Amino acid sequence: MTRLIGMTPSRRGLLKGMAATASALALPGFVQAQSSAPIKLGFQLHRTGIGAAYGRWYERTTQAALKVVNDQGGINGRPVEVIFEDDGTDPKRGAEVVEKLASQAGCDAIFGPLFSHVVIGSAPRAGELKVPYLVCSEGYHVASGMLNRWTMQPGITDVRAQVSSMAPWVANNLGKKVTMVFPDYAFGHDHRDYFTAAIQAQGGEVIKHIAIPPTETSFTRYLPQIPKETEVLYHVMVGPAVLTFVKELGEFYGTGARPEIFGFIDSLEAVDTASPGLEFLEGTHFWEGNCRVKQADASENEAFYRMAVGVDDNGASVSDAKDISTYAHMFSCWETLFILKAGMEAAGYQGVADRQKLVEAIEAMTTMPESAAHPQGDKVFNAKMHQVFGHQNISKVEGGKLVRVYRTSIEETMYENDTDYTAMSF
Amino acid sequence: MRLAAIICLTPGVALACALPPSIIMTLPTDYYMLGAAITVAVTGLLATSPRLLPRMTARSLFTRPILLPVTATSYAAWIVLLGLILIGFLGARDPMHNLLTLTIWTVIWVALPMGCTLFGNLWHAINPWTAPIRLTRQMLGRTGNIGLARFGHLPAVAGLFGFFWFYIVSMSPDDPQTLAIATATYWTAIYALGVAEGEDWLQEGEFLTVYFGFISKIAPFWLDMKGSRATLKLGWPGTQILIMPALSPSAIAFVTLALAGLTFDGLRETFWYMGLIGENPLEFTGRSAVIGVNSLGLIATWGLTAATIMAALHAGPMLQRQPALAMAGGPVPHKARPNLMPVMLSFLAIAAGYHAAHYLTTLLTAGQYMIFALNDPLFQGDAYLGLPPFYISMGFLTDQGMMTLIWNTQFALILGAHILAVILALRLTPAGVQARVHFPLTALMVGYTVLGLWLLASPSG
Repeated sequence: MTRLIGMTPSRRGLLKGMAATASALALPGFVQAQSSAPIKLGFQLHRTGIGAAYGRWYERTTQAALKVVNDQGGINGRPVEVIFEDDGTDPKRGAEVVEKLASQAGCDAIFGPLFSHVVIGSAPRAGELKVPYLVCSEGYHVASGMLNRWTMQPGITDVRAQVSSMAPWVANNLGKKVTMVFPDYAFGHDHRDYFTAAIQAQGGEVIKHIAIPPTETSFTRYLPQIPKETEVLYHVMVGPAVLTFVKELGEFYGTGARPEIFGFIDSLEAVDTASPGLEFLEGTHFWEGNCRVKQADASENEAFYRMAVGVDDNGASVSDAKDISTYAHMFSCWETLFILKAGMEAAGYQGVADRQKLVEAIEAMTTMPESAAHPQGDKVFNAKMHQVFGHQNISKVEGGKLVRVYRTSIEETMYENDTDYTAMSF
Repeated sequence: MRLAAIICLTPGVALACALPPSIIMTLPTDYYMLGAAITVAVTGLLATSPRLLPRMTARSLFTRPILLPVTATSYAAWIVLLGLILIGFLGARDPMHNLLTLTIWTVIWVALPMGCTLFGNLWHAINPWTAPIRLTRQMLGRTGNIGLARFGHLPAVAGLFGFFWFYIVSMSPDDPQTLAIATATYWTAIYALGVAEGEDWLQEGEFLTVYFGFISKIAPFWLDMKGSRATLKLGWPGTQILIMPALSPSAIAFVTLALAGLTFDGLRETFWYMGLIGENPLEFTGRSAVIGVNSLGLIATWGLTAATIMAALHAGPMLQRQPALAMAGGPVPHKARPNLMPVMLSFLAIAAGYHAAHYLTTLLTAGQYMIFALNDPLFQGDAYLGLPPFYISMGFLTDQGMMTLIWNTQFALILGAHILAVILALRLTPAGVQARVHFPLTALMVGYTVLGLWLLASPSG
């Protein structure tokens, strides 16, 4: 039975551990600020609406990062305050939230939105108000060039990089004849388009696309469409029916031979892979942005981050072993806050008049070494695209746990396009 | 328009959807629904043997003096409300860390109705209008009224509709500032009307007072207050309903709206409804995109609810036949048909049961934030409730055992409420009504049972 309350993460113990770890880590120093008023950062939070399950962990991760930042002396010697404002995972409200945070609350910068349609609905307002807007959405919309000079994605890689970089390993290790099962809307189409192209470049082929209507709740009539010669089944089903999908897939193949199976953890983000009903996933592979299970070779930065957010070695809340975090994605909030800190310090940020300097300072960033500020790993920031590139992970379910079998290089995730935000005016 | 254009141009929408996989969808909910439908239908057969119906009499457990006069508790509640409104304006912007949002949506709208369903009208003591209106009228020396009584429950109907629209349809009911403005405005309007009309008007004119008053009639425990003494009574759930006067037409409108609002709150999230309005539930655009269609949906649900209930209550009496000896079993003349309208009271059981079932997970999730906020309102590591710091836990939502338990609890609440409604309907039926007259109503109750369970079992976005 799940314990709802009462389990203590032991804040004091946590702080002691953090202080010890933080002091051992080389983090950027800070300069003494003229003003001691707090730096105010706005966090556009999916507290309610369809993004709420992510929102809860994004807030928790950000609170943990904020504590670390303040314990280290804040930004430019000033304490940092984060104002969380709910956008209802709604683009129209998102634009209002940007306005509230920038104009009413006087935030120096805004960060945190995840859902792409919300980012796309809100970013133009950030551009109009000329407030730095750091999104954590994975969307290709930033790198595509459709947004503006004020909008950047320095804390998480985008879906194009994620999907494309999976193809070489899949082709070389699992098979070259791929069948893709995906929900029939933009998210699924991204996977279809990017992966199909990427596997072709590897000499492989998607032999069948099976698009499933988003409102479908049973999949038995789609599974027979999987061609017999399929070597790899690529699935990105999401939503309430995922458990049904896995169960029916298991029943479809029974105990007989099955193709190799590769999926994106988005399907089971915040769900225990050892849950009853998911046994069929044993031995299958998943993309993970950040490995939810603490790996044997986890760095001290990763361990520090995990402890600070209150996540155990299985990726669950330290107070509730069933409460699996959105570990593959939520590091983006942590890293983005530290990028704001680094950017403000590099820009000698004093107040809202320096917002442009902050954007320029972030654009001047190139490599971001792995550190407590970047626990997911080192990264390369492409200033023209306003998009960061980093390592991706492929994990295999072994004994119900996700164990990493491959970590891409950053180069494997990179692509070219002609976006150049730095040529745009502010 | 511009947004739509932007979305069309999107090179790709990345993040999928944060809807957790549904364990309830893996349970044999179809069998649950079938079983519940059969059980309610069989209960309806009691119409042929009214002697088997429970007698439903109240027992007095004990009598005690009233410890705190309502004026004092209501006044205190008003002060608390003022404080909460202030917190709405000045407190945390995050709704799950703001005591106003948590109190209104988790305590008042979720926990309190459940409390009233078990322990009677708890709202009576904390009604934040009673004392301010009473004291103001005393100070002004006002004893008259402005004739609001002639509107019956209609002001409460308007209030309830506005409430449902704000809660279910409007863009940001959770936003502390929006909620503070709405709460302050509504409180002031009711206060002004109450001062003009008198505090008794709240009983039929103010929707929260009416709603809590109605569903608390289901409670197996309740306080009966006479003078300075209060008697705690115990009886079958719904015992108090049997001694209520029949509902007026405006009160019937209120009850049908309450049922419809609760139904629509569940319906609007289902994949079925999302498909109907052309929204992808895995990529729901957000409330701003569906305000118009959901306003219509709320009204349509009310219309359908009222129409089906009225149809059942009017169709039933048409089935009454002359005693076989007199007219060979032919239909009775229109005037001689029985009046089933008193039976409308039985729907209060369905409202109370569905309310508890529908908001059970909200209680378990948002309730944690409420406890957290009470324990440490300013996030400074305080422990006013004596609790150590804790994280909000949602692990149970993906736990097979817990979710099965929650589903079974919801099932029991829905089934229990409908069985009770059938029994109450039979008890509220005037003497001399033939069993067949109940058929349309029982069929409707069976339908409602399945609908209630289907709403809880459906995949939702």
